[in-house]
Amino acid sequence: MTSRPSAPAFADATKAKGEAFIEVTDVDKFFGDFQALKDININVGKQEVVVVIGPSGSGKSTLIRCINRLEKHDRGSIVVDGIELSDDIRNIQEVRKETGMVFQQFNLFPHLTVLDNIALAPRQVRRQPKREAEEDAMKLLERVGIPEQARKYPGQLSGGQQQRVAIARSLAMRPKVMLFDEPTSALDPEMIKEVLDVMVELAEGGMTMIVVTHEMGFARAVANRVVFMADGQIVEVGTPEHFFTDPQEDRTKLFLSQIL
Amino acid sequence: MTAVETAPVPIRPGFVTWVRQRLFPNVASGVVTVILTPILVYLGYRAVMFVAVNGRWEVVSRNLTLFMQGTFPRDEQWRIVVQILLLALALGVGASTAGAAAVDRAREAGLPVVKQPLSQVVRRFWPIGLFVLVLLYFASTLTPWLVVAGALAAFGLGNTARFLPSRLRNLGWLLMTLLIVAGFQVVSGTTGRSWVMSAMLVAVGVLVAFPLDGLAPRARLAARAGMALLAAAVVFGIYTLIPLEGIGWDQWSGLFLTLWVSALAIILSFPLGLLLALARRSSLPAIRVLATGYIELIRGVPLITLLFMGQYILPFTLPPGSNLSSISRAIAAMTLFTAAYVAEIVRGGLQSLPTGQNEAAQALGLSASKAMRLIILPQALRAVIPAMVGQFISIFKDSSLLYILAINEFLGVRSLVHAQADFRSIAHAETLVFVAFGYWAFSYSMSKESQRLERRLRVGL
Repeated sequence: MTSRPSAPAFADATKAKGEAFIEVTDVDKFFGDFQALKDININVGKQEVVVVIGPSGSGKSTLIRCINRLEKHDRGSIVVDGIELSDDIRNIQEVRKETGMVFQQFNLFPHLTVLDNIALAPRQVRRQPKREAEEDAMKLLERVGIPEQARKYPGQLSGGQQQRVAIARSLAMRPKVMLFDEPTSALDPEMIKEVLDVMVELAEGGMTMIVVTHEMGFARAVANRVVFMADGQIVEVGTPEHFFTDPQEDRTKLFLSQIL
Repeated sequence: MTAVETAPVPIRPGFVTWVRQRLFPNVASGVVTVILTPILVYLGYRAVMFVAVNGRWEVVSRNLTLFMQGTFPRDEQWRIVVQILLLALALGVGASTAGAAAVDRAREAGLPVVKQPLSQVVRRFWPIGLFVLVLLYFASTLTPWLVVAGALAAFGLGNTARFLPSRLRNLGWLLMTLLIVAGFQVVSGTTGRSWVMSAMLVAVGVLVAFPLDGLAPRARLAARAGMALLAAAVVFGIYTLIPLEGIGWDQWSGLFLTLWVSALAIILSFPLGLLLALARRSSLPAIRVLATGYIELIRGVPLITLLFMGQYILPFTLPPGSNLSSISRAIAAMTLFTAAYVAEIVRGGLQSLPTGQNEAAQALGLSASKAMRLIILPQALRAVIPAMVGQFISIFKDSSLLYILAINEFLGVRSLVHAQADFRSIAHAETLVFVAFGYWAFSYSMSKESQRLERRLRVGL
């Protein structure tokens, strides 16, 4: 193992301003011989919105998938709301109850109606009565703007509608933090806005969010901090203004010049 | 409301045009037409002559009872008749309960309710309907007519279950279970260990009828366990109080036996195959290796070998004193055989699902078992309905191998027929065609039902 580089200049920026809600410390992750995450340190505070950007294969998705343990990290520690992720299945379940996740491919359950997609987890995991869970689900559907689709199946909806249902499904578990894994990357351009609008509203409502995205407009508008990753490392962390006006690292400049 | 027909009415071509376009579009097709037409006409002529003129069908009409129930004691025939009536009643209750539940769901979802016309029902079951008509044609006594009429009446009576209020809908399922159990017991009796199977079935029926959704999880579990035990105890009590001597497996034969053996092998192999599929994907190496070994071992051995092993080897592996009838051993062999194939079919379905489904379920906090039960399995099983039903049709037809074990199932009954002086060396073709027609009617109905189920569950979604 080569010696690690000394603490980078942005070390202070990896700390959350207030109380840390998610603490990722010295995390490494391997897929076989390939190291997907290298010495990741990042804290996320309550009600903070962190946007993670970077080229594909840079480890952005792997990072947020480690936070709700869809991937197991190999070294370091991840603590969510005071619960450390370990092999203990109870800890994992506790963390998953507190974190919602929205996927690039929506991953709605095609054999269930929209309403059942949303009401399933509250009924099964939180043991909410059916009627109550369905009432809550309807409220969430109104919040994401598609209550009239409640009885349809996901296959009958457009991509943008499906992703809004997926967001409602995550919110139904009343999570304390929402993880977004490229939520608009699989959408047709005209549908991106309807999903981003829901996410902006969520951020303005005070939800703690980690968002992996290429939507720079979203980052500029709602992010408290932006994290730039490349080759499994955090290259640079800072406010959106810092990123879009005064990026420090060459890799960051190169990446931004390619996508902006 | 009537839909406005806007499709253009196709212009029917004249006969000559049709012949030219369809039969002689080019030289090659013309040659094929010229060669094939006389062959097909000749074969059709021979088939019609055989069925309508030359066939000595009295071999079937005089032995109809033998084909249906084989060597089952004639004095005890009333048991089979009562069973048919009870099962028809159960079918009516089940069908109407399922239908009414579907209507309830559609109403709740605000969808229009379409009434199924009778013509659709006929089209759905026409192969079995045709088989029954052929049986009635061959009937020389009034009994078959009375049984068919009685069964239809019982089915109609069972259909009144749809008038149960929605709140009591689940009672329909319990009633159906009780009728099936009663139908089985009328023949097999209530003595010996027959209460075990019945108790299990009735317990399941009770649990379905009273889901106890309102209770807290732990209380619910306790209440359900208590209810199941109580149901089992009641069954045991009734069976002990009313000891009805039954007609054992070893006296069953004919189509009656074929249907029961196949139904039991199918019903038992499904859960076993499901467990094997899950075990083969287990993260525990011991379980995985055992399941894989079992599946590969069974799939490497012909069914007929397994059937023989069931007859000659299974008795040595069982504790002394447990004398299973040769039919139970055959059912065991068929079940173990089919389960291995069902396991591989289910595994294929599990592998066809995108990993995102499981990830989404996990991310929502569903436990692994709930994710499997509510998300993964429903989709995986839907995807493999065609393959699964194909396997079930296969084991239904393979039940004819029991003939080689000297069990007189539907095909084996032929040997009894041709042992009779009148038919010693004649009319083999007639009996074969009749038996083949019977197998076809049931197999094709199963296939049609599977296609219908596929459409209903929208596999293609």
